Amino acid sequence: MSSEEPQVPAVADATSKPEGLSAVETARKYDLTPKIMPYLDRHLIFHLLAFLRDQQFYPAEELLQNTYDLLEPTNMTDYLMDLWKQIHGKDDIDIPREFLLKREKVMQEWNSLQDETAKITGLLENPDVIANFRSDKIQNLQFLKDNHGVTDDMIDALLRYGQAAYSRGSYDQASDILYSFRILSTDSDKVNQASWGKLACEILTVNWEGAMEEIQKIKEAIDTKPFLSPTAQLQQRTWLIHWALFPLFNHEAARDTILELFFSPNFINTIQTSCPWVLRYLVAAVITSKKNSGSSRAAAVQQKQFKDLVRVVRQELYEYSDPITEFIAALHLDFDFEEAQKKLGEAEEVIRSDFFLQVFCATEQAEGVESKNAFVESARHLISEAYCRIHQRIDITDLSQRLNLSQDDGEKWIVNLIKDTRVDAKIDYKNGTVIMNHPPQSVYQQVIEKTKGGFFRTQVLHAAVTR
Amino acid sequence: MATSRFFHGGLSDSESSSSEEDYSEEEEEEELEGDAAAQDDSEESESTEDDDNDDDDDDDDDDDDELEDGNAAELQNKKNIFTRDADDEEDSDEDGLRRIVKNKKDKRFEEIESSIRLIENAEKINDWFVISQEFDKLNKLVTKAGHSDVVPKPYIKAVADLEDFMNETLVKEKTAAKKMNATNAKALNSIKQRLKRNNRQYEHEISQYRADKENYLLEPEIEDVPVTQKPAFEGVEPERVDDDSGAYSVVTRGGKAVQLTKESIFKHLKVIIEARGKKNTDRTEQIRTMEKLLELAQTPYQKIRVLIALVSTRYDLSFGVLSYMATDQWKAAEIELNTLLGVLEENPSWVIVENGDEWEDDEKAPPTPAPGEIFKISGSIISFVDRLDDELTKSLQNIDPHTTEYVERLGDEAALYKIIVRSQMYFERLSENKKVGSIGDSLNRTVMRRVEHLYYKPLAVIETIEEASYTLLTSESSSGALRSDLRKEDPATIVQGLCAHLYKHDATILRTRAMLCHIYHLALRENFYKSRDMFLMSHLQENIHNADITTQILYNRTLVQVGLCAFRNSLISEAQSCLQEILGSGRVKEHLAQGVGPQSRYSTITPEQERLEKQRQLPFHMHINLELLEAAYLTCSMLLEIPAMAAAGSSPDMRKKVISKTFRRMLEFHERNVFPGPPENTRDHVFQAANALAAGDWMKSCELIQAIKIWDLLPNSESLKQMLAARIQEEGLRTYIFTYAPFYDALSLTRLSEMFDLAERKVAALVSKMIAHDEIAAALDQINKTLVFRKGVEVSRLQTLALALSDKASGLIELNERVFEQKAQSGAVGGLQENTTRPGGGGRGGKSRGEFSGNSGGTRGRGGGRGRGGRSAQFTGERSAKS
Repeated sequence: MSSEEPQVPAVADATSKPEGLSAVETARKYDLTPKIMPYLDRHLIFHLLAFLRDQQFYPAEELLQNTYDLLEPTNMTDYLMDLWKQIHGKDDIDIPREFLLKREKVMQEWNSLQDETAKITGLLENPDVIANFRSDKIQNLQFLKDNHGVTDDMIDALLRYGQAAYSRGSYDQASDILYSFRILSTDSDKVNQASWGKLACEILTVNWEGAMEEIQKIKEAIDTKPFLSPTAQLQQRTWLIHWALFPLFNHEAARDTILELFFSPNFINTIQTSCPWVLRYLVAAVITSKKNSGSSRAAAVQQKQFKDLVRVVRQELYEYSDPITEFIAALHLDFDFEEAQKKLGEAEEVIRSDFFLQVFCATEQAEGVESKNAFVESARHLISEAYCRIHQRIDITDLSQRLNLSQDDGEKWIVNLIKDTRVDAKIDYKNGTVIMNHPPQSVYQQVIEKTKGGFFRTQVLHAAVTR
Repeated sequence: MATSRFFHGGLSDSESSSSEEDYSEEEEEEELEGDAAAQDDSEESESTEDDDNDDDDDDDDDDDDELEDGNAAELQNKKNIFTRDADDEEDSDEDGLRRIVKNKKDKRFEEIESSIRLIENAEKINDWFVISQEFDKLNKLVTKAGHSDVVPKPYIKAVADLEDFMNETLVKEKTAAKKMNATNAKALNSIKQRLKRNNRQYEHEISQYRADKENYLLEPEIEDVPVTQKPAFEGVEPERVDDDSGAYSVVTRGGKAVQLTKESIFKHLKVIIEARGKKNTDRTEQIRTMEKLLELAQTPYQKIRVLIALVSTRYDLSFGVLSYMATDQWKAAEIELNTLLGVLEENPSWVIVENGDEWEDDEKAPPTPAPGEIFKISGSIISFVDRLDDELTKSLQNIDPHTTEYVERLGDEAALYKIIVRSQMYFERLSENKKVGSIGDSLNRTVMRRVEHLYYKPLAVIETIEEASYTLLTSESSSGALRSDLRKEDPATIVQGLCAHLYKHDATILRTRAMLCHIYHLALRENFYKSRDMFLMSHLQENIHNADITTQILYNRTLVQVGLCAFRNSLISEAQSCLQEILGSGRVKEHLAQGVGPQSRYSTITPEQERLEKQRQLPFHMHINLELLEAAYLTCSMLLEIPAMAAAGSSPDMRKKVISKTFRRMLEFHERNVFPGPPENTRDHVFQAANALAAGDWMKSCELIQAIKIWDLLPNSESLKQMLAARIQEEGLRTYIFTYAPFYDALSLTRLSEMFDLAERKVAALVSKMIAHDEIAAALDQINKTLVFRKGVEVSRLQTLALALSDKASGLIELNERVFEQKAQSGAVGGLQENTTRPGGGGRGGKSRGEFSGNSGGTRGRGGGRGRGGRSAQFTGERSAKS
C-alpha cells in the first residue's frame, strides 16, 4: 500500500514533564512508542496512541492533537470531525467547511472507484468465472481479457479501490478487495503492496491466522526478490518485524513461528542493526514462552533461542538497554541475583505501560491468578533455575526473599519447581534448606551424546553426495 | 670526467647514471676476477667443488658491491642536484656538449677494448668462465655505445675470433683425454649457444672481416658527428623596445641581454614552457625571469599564466624520489600558489581547469570575458596542491624528527592546510558554476587531503589549526567570494562532515580512505562502539588486501587505533583481538610504516624496494607510539592468557588453545631466565607481572603493571591504572581458583574476598559465572558461604582423548555438511552469494560480531587466518613484483 511510509507524527513525549509519580516517569523513560512509530502504518499507530490515552502518561490534549495530525491524511472524515470537535470543544455547527468538502470529495472518489471496479468485482463473484480459474495467473488474466473484456487498468483500479477502502477504515472490505487483486495482478511490486495492505487489514480486524499467512508471504517476497539496495531490504525487514509484533503477543499459536522468524540470521541481524529496541519484545516473548515447553525438540529450540538471546543482548547492551534486557544481562551475564531482582521490579512497571506487553497483565485479570503477571512468573522461574544450577545448598528464606514471596509461598514454589523441572533436589525441612544434587555428567555419557547423530548424518550426506 | 658524467646524468633520471656507475665499477672488478681466475688455473689440482664455491663467493661480492654502488650513486646524484647549477654556469654551452659526447664515446670504446683484451687473455689460458662473462658485458657495452646499425669493428673482430677459437676448442675437447672441469665446460656450452645466435646478426660484417683480416680494422670508421642541439634559448632574439619604461633587461646565459616587457610576457612564457623538460635548461634562471615577469604582469590573465608556469617550474627543481624540495623554494611556491588562488578569487571569470580552452595565439591575451562569462585556462590547481603537500611530507620524512628543524618544518603545515582549505573553497565554487563543466575529482581529492591532515589529530589541535586557517584566510583575502564561502567548522564534526561529502560523491579508493580516516578519528575520540560498527559494516576486512599499500597501512593504523580505544575504555578482550592482528605479526614497524624492521635472513630486498619502503614511511608526527601499543597488547594478552593457561592446567589438548602466540612465546622466553633482574623495560614489567599473577600474587602484579611509565601518555592515565588494577584482581581470583581447585574441598567466599580485596558480592558473582560456564566443577553453599568442589570429575587421559576424538569427529561431520551445502547452493543460486555462503550476511544486516572475534583468532579463525595470510602475502608479492 502507499501507506508503507507513514510520516512520524511529532509526539511531544520529550516536552515538559509535569510533576508525577515515579511509575509514570519510568513508563515515559522506557516508552518505545516514538521509536516504533516510524515503522508502522497510520492505522496501526492509531491503536498505540489510543492505548497511551488510556494510560494517561501524557497530557490528553496533546495526544488528541497528535491523533488528529496522524489521521488527517486518511479518509476517515467522520472520525476526524469528531476528533476536531473534541479538541476544540465545539459543536457540529462550527465545523470548518474543509471537512465537509473533503468528505464530499472522498465520497465522490469512492463512488467513482466503485463504478470502475464494479464490473470486475461482479465477475469475481460469478461462480462460472471462478470455476474457469486455474493456478496460473497469466492464464487467468488472459481468460478474463478474452472472455470478459477485462483490462489491466481495471485491475489496477482494484488496487486503488482497496487502498481507498482501507483509508476509510473499512478493513474487512479492503482485505477482500486486495485478495482479489492479488489473484489477478501479475505486477510483483503491486502484489507486494497489496500484501502489506492486507497484512494491515488482518491485524486491524484481529484476524491473526490471516495475518500470519501474510507475514509469511511478505517474508518470502523480501528474501527472494532481488532488491536494488541492501538498505531497502533492511528497511522492509524492519517494517515486517514491527508489524509482526501485533500477532506475536496477541496470538498464542503464532508465537513460536514468529520467534523462529525473528531468530533467523537475517532478521536477528536486522534487529541488531536497525531496531535494537525490539529486543525488549524478544526477551519478553522468549521468557514467557519458556514454560510451555512440550516435546524435547521444542525444548532444544528454546534453549538455543535463549542462548542466542543472551548473546544478542550482550552485544547490544551498549546501544540499547531497558529494565527487561538488563534483567537478562544481570541474570545470565553477571550472575548478580540482587541486581536481577531489582531490574525485575522495574520491568514490571515497564510492562504495564507497554502497548504490546500489557497483554501479560490482561491475562492475569482474566484468569484471576494470584501472581502479578505471566512475565513476572516466568522471570521468577528463570531466576530460581539459575540459582539452583549454581548452588548446592540454598536457604529457603533467602530464596523466597529473592523471589518476593513469603516463606510458605516460597516453599510451595520450590516444591512446584522441583516437580516441574525434575531438578534433583531435596528439602531439608528442619534446617529450612534445599539441597541440590548436581551429579557430574559422566564422560561416557558425553561421548555418546556427541557421537550419537554421527552415523545417521554421515549416511544422509553420503546419500546426498551420491545422488 | 666526473663532472661531465654528472652533467649527463643530471637530466635523465637517477637510474641511468647509476647504471653507468655500475659499469665502470664492474670493470675494475673484472680485472680482479681475471687475476683470481688466473690463480685458479695455476692450481689446477684443486677440486671442482672449491671452484664452485669461489664462484659463488664472487657472485655474492658482486651483489654487495652493486648495492653499495646504487647507494653511492644516489648520494652522488643527490649532491649533484645541488652542485649542478654551478657546473652549468662554468661551462659554456656548446663546448660542453660536444666534449661530453666525445668523452662518452671514447670511454665506451676503451671499455670495449679492455673487454676484448680480457677475452683474448682468457682464451690463452682456456678459461671459459671469464670469457662468458666478458662476452656478456661486451654485448651490453656495444648496444649501449650506440647506434645499432654501426657496430664497432673491434667488436666484430673479437666475436669472429672468439667463434673460431671456440670451434677449435670444441674439436680439441672431443679428442682430449682430460676433460675440463665442470664450470668451464658449462660456460663453454652456454657461450656456444649464445655466440651462434649473436653472430647471426652480424653475419655480413663477420664475413667481411674474415675476407680481409689485416685491413679490416684500418678502414676508416664512419665518425658519428654528435648532433648538437641548439638550446631553445638561442632562438629568442633579444627584443629591444626602447620606449617601454617598465622594461627589464635580463642577461641570459649566452651573455646577451633580454628585454622583458609587458608585451612580451607571453612570448617569454612560451619559450620557457617549451624549454621545459629539455636538457640543459637552467631552471633557476627561468624562475628569475618569471619572477620579473610576474612583477610586470598586470591583467589577471597574465598573472595567472605566469604563476602557473612559475609554480610548476619550481616543482621541477627537485626530482628523484628521495630528494625533497628546498625549504625556501617550497615557501616561495606556497606564496605563489596562494597569490594564484587570490587572483582567481578576485576574478571569477578566469578559471583554471584541466581541460581548458586552448588559446593558440600566444602573442596577445584573449579578450577579457564579459562578466558572468568565463574563460578556461589549462592547468591543474589540484596537482599543485598535491605536490605541495607531498613535498612537505617528503621533507618531513627526511629530516631527523628530533631536531628543531623538524619542528620548524612542521610549522609550515598550517600554511599548507590554509591552501588546502582555500582550494577546497575554490573548487566548491567551480562545481556550483554550471558553465565550468566537470572539474573531475579535484574537489574530492582536496577534501581527502584535508581529511588526511586532520584525522589523526586530537580535538584541541584540530581546533587550533582550523582557527588559524580561518583567521589567516579572512585577514589575508579581501575577496568577498572567499569570505562568503568560508565557514567556521565545528572542530568536533569537521572530519565527519568532510567524510560524509566523500561518501556521497566518490566511489573510488578515496571513499575507502575516507572511511578509514573517519573510523580512526572516531576511535581517537573514544567512540569505540561507533568506530567498531562502522569498521564491520564497511566490510573492509574482506577486500583490503586488494587495496594499494598505503591504504593497507592506513587500515592497519586504524585497526590499531580502534584497539587502543577499546583498551582505554577497559574492553580488554576487544582490545586484544584488534591489536592481535598487527602486533602478533612481529613486523609492527613495517605494517604501520613507522620504520623498517630488522631484515629477515631469508628475504633480501633490493635497493629499489628499500627506497619504495622509505617513501611510504609516515612522518614522525603521525606515528602511533609503538611502546604504548606493545604495552597495551601485552597487558591485554596477560589478562586473558594467564587465567586461560591456569584453567587449561596440564592437560595437553587444552593447552593448545592459545589466545596470543606472541605472548606465550615471550613468556616462555622470560621464564627461561635463571636469574631475573628487576624489570627494566615495559616488556619486563608485563612478564614479571604475568608470573606474579599466575602465582596468585595479584598485589605484586598490580604494582608492576602500574609502574609502567608509558601509560602516562594516555589521557586520564590514573583511571586507566585503576581499571587495570580491578581487572587484575578479578583475573587473579579466577587464576587462583583454577590453579588451586584440585587441592581444596571447599573454599570460603569470605576468605576469598579478603584475599583479593573484592566485595563478597563480586566474588560470588565471579564464582557463579565460572560455575555456570562449566569452567569449574563446583557449587555454592549458601548457608556456609563456601564454594564446594565436586570430586570425581577428574578425567583420565584415555577419557580426555576419547572426548577430544568425539569432538573432532562431530566437527568433521559438520564441516562436510557445510561444504556440501555451500556447493549445492552455489550451484543452484549462483549469483546470490551474499545471502547463501555467509550466514548472517544479508545485505547491510551483516553486522555479525563473529567476524571480529574470528579475525582476532588469527590462525584459529577461518576467515581471520585467511585474511592475515592474504595480506602479508600481498606485501611480499608486491615486493617480488617490484624487483
